[in-house]
Amino acid sequence: MSEPFEPKIIAFVCTYCTYAGADLAGTSRLKYAPNVRIIRLPCTGRISPMFILKALQKGADGVLISGCHPGDCHFTHGNYHARRRWMVFRALLDFIGIPPERVKYSWISAAEGVKFAEFINSVTEDIRKLGPFEQYNQLIEQTQAPASL
Amino acid sequence: MTKILLSDKLDNCVQRWKSAGITVIGPVQRANISTYAAVEHASEFDLGIVLTDRSIKELFFPQTEPMLRYTIKKDAIDTDEFMPPAGPRIIFGGRPCDASGMAIDDPLFGWDYKDEYWFKRRNESVIVSIACAKADEFCMCTSLNLSPDSSKGSDVLLRPLENGKGWQVEELTERGREAFTTIADFLQESSDKVAPLAEVEKKFDLETCVDWLQKPENFESRFWKEISMRCIGCASCTYLCPTCHCFDIQDEGDTYSGFRRKNWDSCSFALFTMHTSGHNPRSTQSARWRQRIMHKFNYFPGKFSANSCSGCGRCTRQCPVDMGITETLQEISKLMQ
Amino acid sequence: MSIEEQYRTRAKELLSGGAVKMVIGYAKGTAGNRRRPVFISSPDEVDRLVLDEACIANLSGYLVSEGLLSDEKRVAVFLRPEGIRAINILAAESQLDSEQIVIFGFDVSGNEVKALKGIHVEEFTEVIEAIKESAPETTNEELLEKIEKMSPQERFSFWQEEFAKCIKCYACRQACPMCYCRRCIVDSNQPQWVNTSSHSLGNFEWNIVRAFHLAGRCVECGNCDRACPVNIPLRLINRKMAQEVLGAFDHFAGMSRTQEPVLASFKKDDSETFIL
Repeated sequence: MSEPFEPKIIAFVCTYCTYAGADLAGTSRLKYAPNVRIIRLPCTGRISPMFILKALQKGADGVLISGCHPGDCHFTHGNYHARRRWMVFRALLDFIGIPPERVKYSWISAAEGVKFAEFINSVTEDIRKLGPFEQYNQLIEQTQAPASL
Repeated sequence: MTKILLSDKLDNCVQRWKSAGITVIGPVQRANISTYAAVEHASEFDLGIVLTDRSIKELFFPQTEPMLRYTIKKDAIDTDEFMPPAGPRIIFGGRPCDASGMAIDDPLFGWDYKDEYWFKRRNESVIVSIACAKADEFCMCTSLNLSPDSSKGSDVLLRPLENGKGWQVEELTERGREAFTTIADFLQESSDKVAPLAEVEKKFDLETCVDWLQKPENFESRFWKEISMRCIGCASCTYLCPTCHCFDIQDEGDTYSGFRRKNWDSCSFALFTMHTSGHNPRSTQSARWRQRIMHKFNYFPGKFSANSCSGCGRCTRQCPVDMGITETLQEISKLMQ
Repeated sequence: MSIEEQYRTRAKELLSGGAVKMVIGYAKGTAGNRRRPVFISSPDEVDRLVLDEACIANLSGYLVSEGLLSDEKRVAVFLRPEGIRAINILAAESQLDSEQIVIFGFDVSGNEVKALKGIHVEEFTEVIEAIKESAPETTNEELLEKIEKMSPQERFSFWQEEFAKCIKCYACRQACPMCYCRRCIVDSNQPQWVNTSSHSLGNFEWNIVRAFHLAGRCVECGNCDRACPVNIPLRLINRKMAQEVLGAFDHFAGMSRTQEPVLASFKKDDSETFIL
């Protein structure tokens, strides 16, 4: 029997809300899928769409981005800027054909350890069902292959 | 009586070559652009266009190719070389200007260092060019001492028959003869006449231009700024040119492993001559345009006795702001009068 | 008097009186109905200026060429409405002082060229508002609709085929008035965000990044699309982004010199449906 597909998921999260929420999930001993690699940033306002592209370039099957709820940003309005950026970038990725199910966004506060664990679990399952990001993996493979002619 | 190949026998030839293990490549229309690609059947060829948008250079010097893969270990760096895909090829249906571009670049790629990537492909390719019965307003082969039926760089030259049924065959090199021996039974003797060649008006007097370029006082002439004001500094001309050959070596990877690649580069880019100190000897677009012209018609001929230009005209055809070398050389000719 | 003659006379007056140091306009190109940008500094050369329905390129990009406006003198430029919007954006982004720009406004519909009255960019606000209201169709609207109806996989395959052609010549970037960064993101290598090689992955990344950096700033002049030597339908991506920012934020690029850039500002009640 073949092994189930284990997606590689990268999460970009802000320090003061989502990362703290993840800590809370940990200290509360909540179980959640180990597929997500977390990258901590000071604020979602720091997240550039380059990061998402880089994660995909390196073979991620899914990308998560999460931060403070609007109005609660530690830096007052970083997440408002981030929200606008995501709205535009999401439409762009969708138009280019990168399935929106592979890049997910959420607001998770420092108190929402349970939400964090549930979010990770449900996203991992969703991406597991979608399978590896074949179309992008093909592009990556081409960069490792000799010229065609 | 001469040897001819009828176009309804072309697919037989393609299949015969393919069964001998030879990849057949030629001009095709793909996704709104005309380019060279490998074909399964002769019906995929588009042999009626004046010139493909993209040049034959890509088949010998691709836009990007990996040279080696590296893995950085604790005490050593492992490398794995990439060589060009192996295999003989016949490039059928290109134009004499494209073929001559390859002959122009051979001495460069074999100059102080023999570029294996170029020569492996060159040695495995047979170029069968078709002389031009039509030209457009951008063609300028005749200004470069070439012509619509130049044999430079080709292994076989085909001339379209006047009756439109095929081509007269002229085998030029040993490789060409070999390739056509394979399909000898599809050729026949004929006294059919060859169609008249395209008329390509001479656009400028090359010698006069070169004289002007060689005069040291013209290096600082105001002419360069005036002629290049509209140049936007993209690489369209460079990348579509059959003779342009600059490249950049880039490493794509991370801390542990990656690939070293050879990519096209262009002297039109602002950063082309940027030094790590921050100094850029060609910091204005006019300096870069001057470099382009000087290199093609002064420096390159000085080293390799050939102009780095085959007169295909793609630079002007495709330039977003209607530049290209023709106008510059025409204006230089006027300056000398 | 035709518009061409009218504007030639106006150019001559401005140049001889020293009101402007240069007029950037269109001249006849190599062949047929090609037009090329021309830079006239002397009143004797104004007859080189041409104005007809083939004058479609957006010339505003030349205004941010290095050093052109640093002597604080004025420059006149032939602009269609998209070009005028571009001036507003460049001014809003502090790339030029719109006081230095004298506009020779015109618009083309079908075969007719009509003059747009005004000299300074503020005088064209109504024209720009009218364009926002009427939401004109762009070329290739059919292809855009076709792409929108595709599934994500089909869209990916479509763009993969298109971007496979890309040769990273950057004609799109160089032709665009909004791409004025001295050091483009693809030229940065500490770190290297976007692969510069023109394999399909690198081409994908480049085109995505450029489209994102233009979101809310693109005036849809089509310079990029026309410049592309391999006929990639670039306008469509920028069109989609323009539609998105209009729908989500009611933002139409280039309305005024003081308009806030869409991604450098926000509203507390920006609403979306996808953030969990």
